[in-house]
Amino acid sequence: MGSDEAYNFVFKVVLIGESGVGKSNLLSRFTKNEFNHDSRTTIGVEFSTRTIQLKSLIIKAQIWDTAGLERYRAITSAYYRGAVGALLVYDITKHLTYESVERWLKELYDHADPHIVVMLVGNKTDLGSERSVPTEDAKDFAEKNGLLFLETSALESTNVETAFQNVLGEIHRKVSSKEVTRGSISAVSLSSPVPRAAGDPEEKKPCCRNL
Amino acid sequence: MIKSSVNFASMMSGTLESLSGLGEDGSSIGSDSEINGLAVRRTDKYGFLGGTQYSEGSDKDIRVDVARQRELKWLDMFNNWDKWVSRRFQKVKLRCRKGIPSSLRAKAWQLLSNSKELLDSNPGKFEELEREQGDPKWLDIIEKDLHRQFPFHEMFAARGGHGQQDLYRVLKAYTVYRPEEGYCQAQAPVAAVLLMHMPAEHAFWCLVQICETYLPGYYSAGLEAIQLDGEIFFSLLRRVCPMAYRHLKKFKIDPILYMTEWFMCVFSRTLPWSCVLRVWDMFFCEGVKIVFRVGLVLLKQMLGSVDKLREVQGMYETMERLRNIPPESVREDLLVQEVVSLAVTEALIERECSIQVRKWRESRGELTHQPVRRLHGTRDIHEHKRRASAISSGGSFSFLGSIPPPGPLRASSSLKKMDKEKKRTWKQKTPRSGMRERKGEGLLYSAS
Repeated sequence: MGSDEAYNFVFKVVLIGESGVGKSNLLSRFTKNEFNHDSRTTIGVEFSTRTIQLKSLIIKAQIWDTAGLERYRAITSAYYRGAVGALLVYDITKHLTYESVERWLKELYDHADPHIVVMLVGNKTDLGSERSVPTEDAKDFAEKNGLLFLETSALESTNVETAFQNVLGEIHRKVSSKEVTRGSISAVSLSSPVPRAAGDPEEKKPCCRNL
Repeated sequence: MIKSSVNFASMMSGTLESLSGLGEDGSSIGSDSEINGLAVRRTDKYGFLGGTQYSEGSDKDIRVDVARQRELKWLDMFNNWDKWVSRRFQKVKLRCRKGIPSSLRAKAWQLLSNSKELLDSNPGKFEELEREQGDPKWLDIIEKDLHRQFPFHEMFAARGGHGQQDLYRVLKAYTVYRPEEGYCQAQAPVAAVLLMHMPAEHAFWCLVQICETYLPGYYSAGLEAIQLDGEIFFSLLRRVCPMAYRHLKKFKIDPILYMTEWFMCVFSRTLPWSCVLRVWDMFFCEGVKIVFRVGLVLLKQMLGSVDKLREVQGMYETMERLRNIPPESVREDLLVQEVVSLAVTEALIERECSIQVRKWRESRGELTHQPVRRLHGTRDIHEHKRRASAISSGGSFSFLGSIPPPGPLRASSSLKKMDKEKKRTWKQKTPRSGMRERKGEGLLYSAS
């Protein structure tokens, strides 16, 4: 459960993108090193956590996964609340999922913190022969919109680790360079120098009280 | 020639033997399970090959003579169904609470939900819907979802297998039947549960009843009905289990973060399978009240004591607990017993509903989809049917669930008139763009 782990930061990261692009498998690959060909559709919200070390810091990533179907967007404001990072996922073999990226981006900026770190992720590189979204197109789009960019394969475990690490690293860079001040992003817990940091005021960790 | 066929046979049996031990690698299940049409792999008694809803053999079966007695009682009820519902409904309810015999479950669900009547009064309709082309927008999403429903159930494990084919037929037919509603992902597990029990056409009409009579609006664009029920649920929790309520409030855990899947899938992805069936038995009979009660019982169970709360001090810890309810913590009989004894009535839910609708309007403006009065289970449906047929003196109107659809199945003219009058009182003040009013909806608008 990890509630009693020591960590310096908690970063909330959301996975967004059309239904069927592989969000849930990216999540399970990163947090449990699992891949499921027949994973269930996500209804509502799923989430998982993993604690990673970034240089000398321990960061707890809380990754939220939601249903991609348009209909569920009505209930996602609670989902974006407090997010400091996002992986906007499309399927490199399905051009339509790439075409909707702009819509997702708007959705994200409408609801999330304006300083949120966003990475555009082209998933399913294992299906390279069926590719319909050229890498360069996506890369250009990402550059123009100030997004990080990577292509991944949750199936083959390619770049999944790197994708999350880069996003978490960039969040940390923003936070520590004071581009983002504390409070503007509620889920970020800027720790005191003591490694075993308590969370932000909204989310008290139990470590000090109930153990 | 002979030799080769022998070889083939031994090879086959070798394959079957190696298949009979459930693979270590759970992910391979499903890709090839249809080759074992002979059911070589061991499933539990509900057809699950593995996964979190697989039942270990520990379930106690009821005694054979008791089971037989129950079957006879149900068969007797089937023979005089309308009388039982109108005159001895308490007994019907009690028997649903005890659990419907599995051999008769499919028929019972169809009678309880009145979907049987829809089926009978619309011969050929399902085939007609199937023949339509359908909107590619929905068909695309449905296709993507086919292999993602109960992947551990023998019926849905095989890609392109008959279970997935039927699922496609049912879900597609619904989008043709209600083009303005389309497809919502939570409908797939619901349809899949129905298909585990009955053929596609029957499952379709049963799904229609669930979507339109039991849980109207749950699967509609905007998901307002589910959000409203989330608020109602939370407020009921305050009465039922203040400790859990305070905990969820303290950690700012919105109801929609945990109850969406519970409610939209009627717990079919949440509970051990024996519990799912018992919950659905009661749900078909008593309606959405059961969904609220099961949710409340679960929260009580997970967050109802100081000890339990100590383990989940934090938003994420709490969410994790609620999203992965340990199967051993939900015992079938105890669950049913608690659900039955919980004092959450239809009237209470309706009252809370009007309060929450008012609050919604105050804080968020007009609802895009006006709340439709849902029917609380068998008796309510029956009562409504009786009233509808009394109004419809022409005799051409057959009760079709909550929303008489456009086209050939439209309500009679006297109903339409009533419909218009009601609509006026519910007229939207600020309709959002893209909104379409459905014909006949006014029929069930709440009068309160």
